Amino acid sequence: MFTLAYPSTPEEAVDRLARAAPGETAVLGGGTDLLLDVESGRTTPTELLSLRKLPWRYLRWERQSLVVGSTLPLRALEVDPKVRTQLPGLWEAIVDVGSPALRSRATLGGNIGRCSPVSDLLPILLALDAQVRIVGPNGRREVPVDAILQESRRTTLGSADLVEAVVVPAAAPCTYLWQRVQPVNDISQVGVATAYAPTPPHWRIAVGGIQPRARRLVEAEGLLRSARPSDFEAELAAQEAARRSTFVTDRRATESYRRRLVSVLVRRAIQRTLARVPPVAGGPSSSP
Amino acid sequence: MRFRTDAAPKAEGAVVYAPDLEAPGMLWAALVPSPVAHGRVVRLDLEPARRQPGVVAAVGAAEAVSLLPGGTGDGAAPVFPSPEILYHGQPVAAVAAETLGAARAAARAVELEVEPLPVVSGIEEVFPEWPTRVALPHPQVVGHVHARRGDVDGAFGAADLVHSETYRTPGVHQVALEPHACLAEVSGDTWRLRSSTQTPFGLRSDLAESLGIPADRLVVEGTWVGGGFGGKGGALIEPYALVLAAAAHRPVKLALTYAEEFQLGRTTLPSIIRLDTAVKGGTVTGRRVRLLLDSGASLPGRDFAVGYSMGFLLGPYRTDTFEIEGYAVRTHKPPFGPHRAPFAPQSVFALESHVDGLARRLGVEPLEFRRRNVWKEKDRTAYDQPVGPFGLDACLAAAERTLRDWRRGLPPDHGIGVGCGFWSTNAGEGGEARLELRPDGLVIYEGEREIGNGSVVRGLPTVAEKVLGLPASAIRVAYGDTAKAPFDSGVYGSRTLAALGQAVERASRALLATLASRLGAATSPTLELRDGHVTVVSGGRRVRLATLLTPEERTVGGLVAEGKFYAPAHRLDTSFVTDGQVFPYRDFTGGAHLAEVAVDRETGHVRVVRYAAFHDVGTAVDLALVRGQVEGGVVMGLGTALSEEMRWEPTGRLGNPDLLDYRLPRLRDVPPLQVEIIEGFAGAGPWGAKGMGEPPIIPVAAAVANAIADATGTRVHELPLTPERVARALKLL
Repeated sequence: MFTLAYPSTPEEAVDRLARAAPGETAVLGGGTDLLLDVESGRTTPTELLSLRKLPWRYLRWERQSLVVGSTLPLRALEVDPKVRTQLPGLWEAIVDVGSPALRSRATLGGNIGRCSPVSDLLPILLALDAQVRIVGPNGRREVPVDAILQESRRTTLGSADLVEAVVVPAAAPCTYLWQRVQPVNDISQVGVATAYAPTPPHWRIAVGGIQPRARRLVEAEGLLRSARPSDFEAELAAQEAARRSTFVTDRRATESYRRRLVSVLVRRAIQRTLARVPPVAGGPSSSP
Repeated sequence: MRFRTDAAPKAEGAVVYAPDLEAPGMLWAALVPSPVAHGRVVRLDLEPARRQPGVVAAVGAAEAVSLLPGGTGDGAAPVFPSPEILYHGQPVAAVAAETLGAARAAARAVELEVEPLPVVSGIEEVFPEWPTRVALPHPQVVGHVHARRGDVDGAFGAADLVHSETYRTPGVHQVALEPHACLAEVSGDTWRLRSSTQTPFGLRSDLAESLGIPADRLVVEGTWVGGGFGGKGGALIEPYALVLAAAAHRPVKLALTYAEEFQLGRTTLPSIIRLDTAVKGGTVTGRRVRLLLDSGASLPGRDFAVGYSMGFLLGPYRTDTFEIEGYAVRTHKPPFGPHRAPFAPQSVFALESHVDGLARRLGVEPLEFRRRNVWKEKDRTAYDQPVGPFGLDACLAAAERTLRDWRRGLPPDHGIGVGCGFWSTNAGEGGEARLELRPDGLVIYEGEREIGNGSVVRGLPTVAEKVLGLPASAIRVAYGDTAKAPFDSGVYGSRTLAALGQAVERASRALLATLASRLGAATSPTLELRDGHVTVVSGGRRVRLATLLTPEERTVGGLVAEGKFYAPAHRLDTSFVTDGQVFPYRDFTGGAHLAEVAVDRETGHVRVVRYAAFHDVGTAVDLALVRGQVEGGVVMGLGTALSEEMRWEPTGRLGNPDLLDYRLPRLRDVPPLQVEIIEGFAGAGPWGAKGMGEPPIIPVAAAVANAIADATGTRVHELPLTPERVARALKLL
């Protein structure tokens, strides 16, 4: 049994967390994972700290960056027309998560805090080099999402830290591709995100469905030296991504099949992203 | 457009399903699951559970024996294992408490000590290689069938081509939306049960036999059923609730969680199928069919599935030279149970894949090859039964036109597959109907509730409507328990409209005959509803029904008529059967399906692009119901084809007892679906109707598998056709 608390300011929430005994208080965002854990007895908190009353349910554009409050349901991002056109890869990652009901609860903040290796959101946030605004006992700070993730249910966030918002810098051509046995209400066997950042020009590739967590594959990125890689270069990068990832066999796919999928989907994601790179001036130009 | 009378109350939540049943003083039950798939109960201490707050009763094997009037019947399975546990999660005890939470907490408090025994989790552990001769009796074989007709060895010896293949199919669950649930009450010497069952009368006789309760002291009332698909036939959870109710002297409700539903449900289990076909001069001259079927914890002699499957493995093809052999393999899983068209989709997946591949080897277009070889009306089956009116060739002819259409401009990496099969309406023992014609309308009394397909709530009234002429709005169905309602075998075997419908038809005609005699008319009258009054029309005369009724009939019950339909015995000359039992089929119906798929040649992912189903329905008594069954059967079959698979671990534990990793088709998996109804091949049902509950699921996996082979040139020999399995077949990893 647990009690439910609704702090009304971030400071109050952080304060309550800072004073809580380890394992006693759990943070409740959308609850799509936490409530399953409570139901199954995996966690037995005595207090749930709901973030519902915090003013973090927003989406706004700051200069070129998209800023998403950490308790905004994914569904709100999904139906936002500007998200869809400006960050198509982010939209692709969101639109097929679970079901509409689940997306009406699930949040970006929860995805980061839970750090599931099979999250569909983490690869695209990594590929877009998203920054995370954190509020904690020592005030506010902003760190790259990459610096937070460790492994399933483990992050570098302190026990009294809360994710306040996620900042997705500069609209960039990007893609997210997944494979599942079924398109809805299923867990991705692997997910692949690619993004092209024009300034400075750089390709980013991130993969989910691998262990111990979703991660950037900088070795594969390094093989994409031009703004418009050829099919051959894309294939090489995909092979490198498959080689550098750590796969496991579980009930959803075998290690060898996941490797196969990454080698195919990385190439396709690069090609799809390329098709989204505007060919005109202002967009990336071909390198010599 | 006429709507089903149950649609609005169901949509509004006004219908009470069994998990929501309540009774004054009701207790909640929880089960204590076995932690192992095979073991011996060494110690069971219920006292810690009884000491929990709110607990009223806790029962195990010993309590069950003392509380049941007849103890545990001879040869029947005991309620709780004593001492041998046969499958993981098997209930070893049960508790009843004031709340569900208290019951679950008490179930966890039960102290159970189990000595684990070696687990047989699958067929391969019993037969690592294909058995040639199995010495019987064999400790892991609970059923054996062998039969042979014609000179099989001669046919194979003289063949210029032998096509041999092995197929594998997994366990699949019915996944009715509503899990099993019931409410039991024992008062005086009457045992009363409300249960979500497809077969109230079958459940009563099942319980009477296994628990030793005299059938006349056991009353079963069927509730609305939230989906059955074969999973809600005989007793499953009812014995636990009855024993608890007897111990607690209060009503007890037991509703399974969905994880329990997966772990305890009786359903289709895995198989290995081997098929050999001898061909000479382009003609099939002999066949061998061999089946290893996981039978779970089925008791010896209780397996029906091996013998029943043999007909589907031989298929709707002219065959007089064949050998069939099958073994029911005992493993540590719940016993095998029926799942919409028991084992036919699996048999047909193997057979139709095999036939498809054989046609391609022979250079014959696969659909054309089927048309040359399937039964026509004058043919006889492999078991030498007359086929009779059978529209499979007409279905194939219609499919051929669609196939030609689809072939035009077929994109690369797409393929089209055909699958076909037969079904035989299982009339069961029979059924009875009581009709009461009242001044304001007709009431049909039945002992079973609607299970979802519409055959009770709409199919039966449609039969009465057609005979009597009364509008549907003047006809309703009323339900009773087994003490009051007319007998019926239950909703299974695609029999409801085809068999019970005949009882309603006969009762309706009896009503008209009575009215004709009261009118002194030589011919049957018809009925109509005028200003809310049932009016009898005879020879141009219109008489209000009320004027033809006796005072008693006017006051209570109306004019009563009963109709009975008991299936005629079907004898089969079984001199060709050397061991076990094969089953006669009757009243054949055929169906042919087409699937177009797109295969991702790099990942093995399969998408069904469009689908067409052609069915010989005899006569469509109600077109909307038939179409509903075909659409539902196809969608359910797509799950069998592409994603559904129960995955048992070597410990015997079910690894995916949830709807995340047991994957049902979702709306986005459903392709555009064309349904074509073929009439003119009359069946035994009313106006020539044939049962259509099960046939539509049968050819689906086969059609999809054959489409994949058409697209890729590669055959996948195991269901379901998941992306990874297809990728392996394509040698991508």
